[in-house]
Amino acid sequence: MDKEFIARGVERCGAGRFLLWILPWTAMLFFGLYAAGLCLVKGLNQTNMDNRFAFGLWIFLDLTVIAFGAGAFFTGFLLYILKVHELRAVINSAVVIGLVCYSGAVAVLMVDVGQPLRAWFTFWYPNVHSMLTEVTFCITCYLTVLAIEYLPIVLKNRKLREIPRFLVFEHELHKLIYVLAGVGTFLSFFHQGSLGGLYGVLRGRPFAFREGLFIWPSTFFLFILSAAAVGPSFILLTTWLVEKLSQKRLVRRNVFQILARVSGLLLAVYTLAKSIDTLVWINRTSPESGFPAAEYYSWKPFGTWILIAEIVVFGLIPALILLTPRLRARTAWLVPAAAMACAGVALNRFVMTVQTLALPTLSFDPFLSYFPSWQEIGTFLAVVAYGVLVYSFSFRYFKLFPEERELRIEARQAELESELVER
Amino acid sequence: MLPWNYGFEWNTAHVTFLGAFYAVLAIVATTVVRTLLRTRRDLRTHRAESIRWQSDFHDLPPADRVCRHVLTGEIQRRECPNAFDCRACETHARLIAQHPVAVEPQAEDETLGMPFPLDRYYHRGHAWVHPEPDGSLTIGLDELGWRLAGAPDAIGLPKPGAAIHVNGPAFHLHRGRADVRVLSPVDGEVIGTGSREQGWLLRVKPAATGERAFRHLLRGAEIRPWLVREMERLQLVLTPAGAAPTLADGGVPMPDITAGYADTDWDDVCGEMFLCP
Repeated sequence: MDKEFIARGVERCGAGRFLLWILPWTAMLFFGLYAAGLCLVKGLNQTNMDNRFAFGLWIFLDLTVIAFGAGAFFTGFLLYILKVHELRAVINSAVVIGLVCYSGAVAVLMVDVGQPLRAWFTFWYPNVHSMLTEVTFCITCYLTVLAIEYLPIVLKNRKLREIPRFLVFEHELHKLIYVLAGVGTFLSFFHQGSLGGLYGVLRGRPFAFREGLFIWPSTFFLFILSAAAVGPSFILLTTWLVEKLSQKRLVRRNVFQILARVSGLLLAVYTLAKSIDTLVWINRTSPESGFPAAEYYSWKPFGTWILIAEIVVFGLIPALILLTPRLRARTAWLVPAAAMACAGVALNRFVMTVQTLALPTLSFDPFLSYFPSWQEIGTFLAVVAYGVLVYSFSFRYFKLFPEERELRIEARQAELESELVER
Repeated sequence: MLPWNYGFEWNTAHVTFLGAFYAVLAIVATTVVRTLLRTRRDLRTHRAESIRWQSDFHDLPPADRVCRHVLTGEIQRRECPNAFDCRACETHARLIAQHPVAVEPQAEDETLGMPFPLDRYYHRGHAWVHPEPDGSLTIGLDELGWRLAGAPDAIGLPKPGAAIHVNGPAFHLHRGRADVRVLSPVDGEVIGTGSREQGWLLRVKPAATGERAFRHLLRGAEIRPWLVREMERLQLVLTPAGAAPTLADGGVPMPDITAGYADTDWDDVCGEMFLCP
């Protein structure tokens, strides 16, 4: 039915099967849109957040998907600036993932902030003393850059490229894509940092407060490092997942190895930096604020296990696996390690958002617990469904993995040669 | 955020931040505007089809982009850097000078059971061109091309007066909802259209004459090794996914190759073989 829209030489499931796949995700998206609509129309009383617990599931989601979306800028940086040409095989997929992550984050932020008709206020009347101003500006700019980077992928669709204007525009835009990759790297560097800096400057929250370099707290640098480390792992993980779901080989194994090596190296540096930062914080920053660090971990369920899980289980261990050639060569080690790296950064964002706000800071403060309302969960699910849908459509109609066709032919050639040998 | 807005101060931090922000906006806007201007220039200079082929060629698997001299065994490994336009290729000129291609104009070559007359030049996208005594050129589809096309519902030919360019579309084959373009072997102006029964599809007034005008095309002794490679490619394309490719030990290709394979898609096979990814 839609075959003329699908690239030649690649195999995709039938339209009926594809409809069956997208149906539950579409239902989830509409449920989430209803939940988000309730929050926009009736206000944040629909959520379980309050004046004290002002950050919840949505901010955790924002921080996590923005870290995962870093794969787009980092892959672009490695490919177009450092010329790691092997990564051409995953750059389109990375751009789609980046676009999905950033647009999802902006959409959820819009629901969280509310008053969408006044969204332009954030640009016209910014709080010049807030790190969030930098975040807002950078994310908006980077989302624009990602949308422009996504354009050539869309315009390369078999049917669209029949229109000469689209074909030529795609060709010319592709020639200048390295400029956008450079701009994307610059923007990502700063907004990932500012998101971390946002927590580091919270003097009233000694659990999050950190010292640093000039105006930047250490969390500024830790967020940049962790995002750069987890981005390639997330690309690796999604590519592997798409290969499994579609039952097709999409990239060469050496691409996985490069992504794993880069991710492992950065994760190791991040784990080291995070460990040093934690030691400084435990021994100096926190006691100077009047809070012995052990006190933070006396509140259940946030015991010291969470710190060990974040740094050792989901930091050091996956870094070591990804850095060991013998281990990362085996899918059984590679994929869980990449998943653990992603889980580690997600856990870090959870700790910075939820644990920070749950802990009491004044003698009369209670320990707060928070569980999101169904409207918050619904909005969260809408972003997940939106991501799956955009990726599914992109995978079906655009060339997300340029080597797919070639690998298919190579596989047949190998079969032919093995048959020849057998004869 | 502008200097006259609330909270702005002329200090280093604010100026740096705003400077960086506006610089980014300016770079992104300049990139888009520059792309639009280049697009307009390309469209005005009719470069769209050349760009299409460059893009198509780039999308071909490396195995399909090999140099013609790899096919003949003169070179071990080389990918064509000129998108199959050997007219400006120094390596080709050097190799041709060293080992001129053997041509017997009167011979009727039955390569792999298919007639491939040696009095004409062949394009790697399965079109041929034949110089006529009146100085015009006739263009047609080679035998393997016809056997791949089978019985197309229609052949989309350009109208007389239309310009065709090397590696641009010469004509289109339509079957069902599928449409495959066949690349032009020469530059020129269409002066007449033919049919399959007439043995040619286009009559063209060439834009250039002489040996150089045909230098990018295959001829004589080059045809057999090229066809052998084409049959190998065809074998791979015709193999259904998940099934081991079957080795043909003899026989000739059927008149409508894809019709003989139930699970094979005409569009996929022709797209692959006519270099139309």
